[in-house]
Amino acid sequence: MNSATVAASNLSKSFGAKQVLHDMTFGISPGDVVGVLGKNGAGKTTLLELILGFTAPTSGAISVFGHDSHTLPGSIKARVGFVPQQDELLDQLSVADQLRVIASFYPGWDSELIARLCGEWGVNLLARIKSMSVGERQKLSILLAFGHKPDLLILDEPVASLDPIARRQFLEQLLAISSDAQRAIVFSSHIVSDIERLANRIWILKDGRLDWQGDLDSLKESIVRLHIRGGGSELPALIVPGVLTMRREGAFATAVVRDWTQESHEALENQASVQIDVEPLGLEEIFLELHR
Amino acid sequence: MFILNPQSGIPIYRQILDQVRRMVASGQLPPGATLPSVRDLAIRHTINPMTISRAYTMLEAEGLLERNRGKPMTVASQNRNHSQLPKRLQQIGPLVEQTVVAAKQLQLSEAELVKAVRREWEQNDE
Repeated sequence: MNSATVAASNLSKSFGAKQVLHDMTFGISPGDVVGVLGKNGAGKTTLLELILGFTAPTSGAISVFGHDSHTLPGSIKARVGFVPQQDELLDQLSVADQLRVIASFYPGWDSELIARLCGEWGVNLLARIKSMSVGERQKLSILLAFGHKPDLLILDEPVASLDPIARRQFLEQLLAISSDAQRAIVFSSHIVSDIERLANRIWILKDGRLDWQGDLDSLKESIVRLHIRGGGSELPALIVPGVLTMRREGAFATAVVRDWTQESHEALENQASVQIDVEPLGLEEIFLELHR
Repeated sequence: MFILNPQSGIPIYRQILDQVRRMVASGQLPPGATLPSVRDLAIRHTINPMTISRAYTMLEAEGLLERNRGKPMTVASQNRNHSQLPKRLQQIGPLVEQTVVAAKQLQLSEAELVKAVRREWEQNDE
């Protein structure tokens, strides 16, 4: 047995003839915060559902805390928390009743934490769920997934309807969770700046494949924009390793490359005696460049 | 204490590395000075704690910082206030290079750039 929180190898998933996920291999360790990025339809939700064991892979294997994720025993399920894209709240209940219902499933429910967060986040315990706004419902769904202090917390676009202040409070709470007790968090969102703050690891999904996975720090060092200048009026022919996009204009060129290193910098400069300036890119730019 | 920009293309651990190195080199962070804990920095700046730990670990390996059991990290004592001039110059090198490249693109003369730097220097002193 390894100590990995999640381990997946060669994971594929098809619905009928349509293959949604292709050959994914990844791991999640305690303390990791994984930010999942991808266009709509890239397979993010299906991937999260496979981790949760809601659906079985078509081929490949995935385990959570060492157990096959599709047949998790109750004791392991209790260590997982989930915030779905579409909430599963009971409209006819009040907030307090909904919290009570969920708390009753978990012996380790931290009612002190939840009471404190309800206060800080402005969640009214007496409100009827059916009269709540989408943002308020989202806050409550998040609280319901926090209360049993899961060792693995999975959030599928949890902040789409939260205002910037609520989003920041939510991020602070997630950071407190991840830095205090080596818990793992997997978090999909289109709000790239949130992922850039929260995540130490990034998965970029493209057409059902893991196009990039690794540390956010390494991603920013690996995918950069080059500004290339030649000596004469026309830039010499160049072979730019790992090039994603390139535009030439007379003696200049800009190119976005992946797998950039100091060695590739020197090799390229020596190749045709050009001068190269490296422009680092933010996560949003990187995401866009990987989709050009 | 740090100016950190998560949206920058420069990874956060690098931003911390550069700033600590500069502050130690200039004596702004004297030997024995304490650094904020990883958790405090993570929550205050709303950034992932691992990238901060990574910076601290690298600075410790460089001998710039010392880890103390159960206490905050401190600036290592063997760092005599100011490091040598060439080393400090080397640290500002990339910024100078960038400025010179930009000045040439703007077709400024050397004298004009030096004048602009001097003006900025004096304004900053006030």
